[in-house]
Amino acid sequence: MTSSKPVLAISAVAPIVLLIIMVAFLLGPASSFLQFGIVLPEVSIEKIEFTGNEIQATVRNTGPVNVNVVLADVNDRIQPAAIEPDTSLERFETALVRIPFDWNEGQPYEIGVTIDDGTRFAKGIDAAFPSLEPDIDLFVFLGMIGFLIGVVPIMIGLLWYPFIKKLGKNSFNFFLAFTMGLLIFLGIDAVLEAVEISENHLSSVFNGELLIATVIILSFLALYGVGKKLTQKAEFSKLSKGLAISLMIAIGIGFHNLGEGLAVGAAIALGEVALSTFLIVGFATHNTTEGLAIAAPLTSTKAKIVKMIGLGLIAGIPAIFGTWIGGFSFSPFFTLVFLAIGAGAIFQVVLSIFQYMKGKSDLLSNTSLFAGISAGLLVMYLTSVLI
Amino acid sequence: MQSGIPSSKMFYILIAIVAVSSLYFVVPGVIVAEETPRTFLTHTGLVIQTTGEVIDPIGYDGDDLDFDPEKFMKDFDYGEITVLDDGTVLREFYITARDDQIMEVSPGVFYNVWTFNDSVPGPTIRATEGDLVRIHFTNEGSKPHSLHFHGIHKAEMDGVFESIGTGGQFTYEFYAEPAGLHLYHCHVHPVEEHIAHGLYGAYIVDPKEPREPADEFVFVLNGLDTDFDGENNFYAANTIPFYYQHHPIEINANQNIRAYVVNILEFDAVNNFHLHGTLFHHYPAGTDTVPSGYNDMLTMSQGDRQILEFNYKYPGLYMFHAHNTEFSEKGWVSSFLVKENTDDFDIQVEYDDII
Repeated sequence: MTSSKPVLAISAVAPIVLLIIMVAFLLGPASSFLQFGIVLPEVSIEKIEFTGNEIQATVRNTGPVNVNVVLADVNDRIQPAAIEPDTSLERFETALVRIPFDWNEGQPYEIGVTIDDGTRFAKGIDAAFPSLEPDIDLFVFLGMIGFLIGVVPIMIGLLWYPFIKKLGKNSFNFFLAFTMGLLIFLGIDAVLEAVEISENHLSSVFNGELLIATVIILSFLALYGVGKKLTQKAEFSKLSKGLAISLMIAIGIGFHNLGEGLAVGAAIALGEVALSTFLIVGFATHNTTEGLAIAAPLTSTKAKIVKMIGLGLIAGIPAIFGTWIGGFSFSPFFTLVFLAIGAGAIFQVVLSIFQYMKGKSDLLSNTSLFAGISAGLLVMYLTSVLI
Repeated sequence: MQSGIPSSKMFYILIAIVAVSSLYFVVPGVIVAEETPRTFLTHTGLVIQTTGEVIDPIGYDGDDLDFDPEKFMKDFDYGEITVLDDGTVLREFYITARDDQIMEVSPGVFYNVWTFNDSVPGPTIRATEGDLVRIHFTNEGSKPHSLHFHGIHKAEMDGVFESIGTGGQFTYEFYAEPAGLHLYHCHVHPVEEHIAHGLYGAYIVDPKEPREPADEFVFVLNGLDTDFDGENNFYAANTIPFYYQHHPIEINANQNIRAYVVNILEFDAVNNFHLHGTLFHHYPAGTDTVPSGYNDMLTMSQGDRQILEFNYKYPGLYMFHAHNTEFSEKGWVSSFLVKENTDDFDIQVEYDDII
């Protein structure tokens, strides 16, 4: 039955070798035969920053052919500019276009670049906003924002623990279902946000929507495996099943908050939103429910206060890292990836809670399940309107 | 139950795939070693310090251009001259249309120009009123083309209803009338496309009694829609954006200057011409001997042309450009460098070609 190792190795490698030969053939001898249609170059302006007396645009060659960026303009008026490192852009290569320009704060601008075949690519900015200096002040500021939208609300939400603990079994099930509702909403929210970032910031060459779907599924499967291990271990160790589920929720929410922090940090850095106190209030209110989601499964066990704080930090602190990373170097690609990881993680957690509830009571109360999920979704919707 | 590769190894493989694929997106091309910044002066007078390259639509020294605006502005084609038995002067011209050439129209920008005699604008055809003009037209392009001259001529010489196919030839013949400044262009449909790509030129008919001697220039006001969105990406006097700003046209103070200005701009309804530091007398289509006005602004619709006569009192550098600043900031900006006139100044225009 068992084949020898060399044969096994050959059978594994042979298709790959054949594939390489085919690709080499297509790119080499057959390339002229396959040349049909018109190849259109494409350049994406990924980021526009406004500094002292300069407008800086990060451009990326997102098309199928190499291009030269030969001209820059502001509001469709030709401007002299510098381009670093140089004018020629290979596939996926980026360059920084620096346009000396006396811009006015709060005014909309459109930045364009023209490539060697005369095609112009442009991107608009609603309001020019001085790009933030990467100094200690900004570091503290971004950290504070992350702390306010991530850590604080979750800690506040955890304070519901004693209240939920005192409730009866049905009410407890209701709150677990309520948590599921919160998480389902959060997951959908993350997907929508990722899609929005994909549309606004990510070039179509990255296949943003497919990337989101891929990452959600990978994240779901990965955390499903980890979650299984954790809950299996819980059966043999002191680690209770409730705590294991709370940990999973905290990790899922942590990923979500990392993505959310990246988006918020980037929005601050790019000056795309006027970051009002109101927005912070909205985010904070919204995220308080995340604390509740972590607290609910814990009520079936004796949870130590330290462990609870630990869970809160696991879920909340990534928001701080998110605002830092997003604020100092915004990458739409990674923001999207982390939002998608968060979504996958959250959907996995919803499944874990459901299985946990099913295992806990033979007769799963449908009323508390549906009431809980509905209430959770509605609460999330209402708090989201505040943002 | 489990066989083959253990699941933990599978996990490492997965991690490796994720790591490699994310590197693909993270690493932004080749990392270039830090160089010392160099300093550049831009066409707007700004100073740029950069380790990279400067993209500024100047940088032509004129030699590496397929088209030389310096030469074009004073290049008049008087044709091959034969005096017929009845004393009429016959001027024969040879014009070939092509539509396959790629020209660098601004540093680094390559555009498919359609040309008369390999040039945009085509040659400036010049004759004297009453001359017999015979134009041997050959179409070496892949599309049908034609020559449509403004002026007085027979309908069959109008170049509108008979387009000349690939490889075809046609001889246009008419008397040069009336005296003035006219133009010619391809009139094959879609005319907008044929003109926008460059199939046009100036046509000057000198009056029988020559105009006052002057230093003469031709300025064909045109534009280039390099991305085919129905809007011009570049504007210019004589095709190359910003050219005369960096190669100021040298003239003398107190010297009569005559500019033949033809507007053939596509896509924009109106073009204009503004002269700094002095005013001009202008003659619409150059057909009248009395100027229509004394101004420093000229507003022209498509196909309009004007003869401008002026002189400078003071030496120095003076701009002339579209007062529609969008056009000027996209290249239709030029300048005269006015030098002190010397006593032994010779008139630069050569009249020996004119009989």
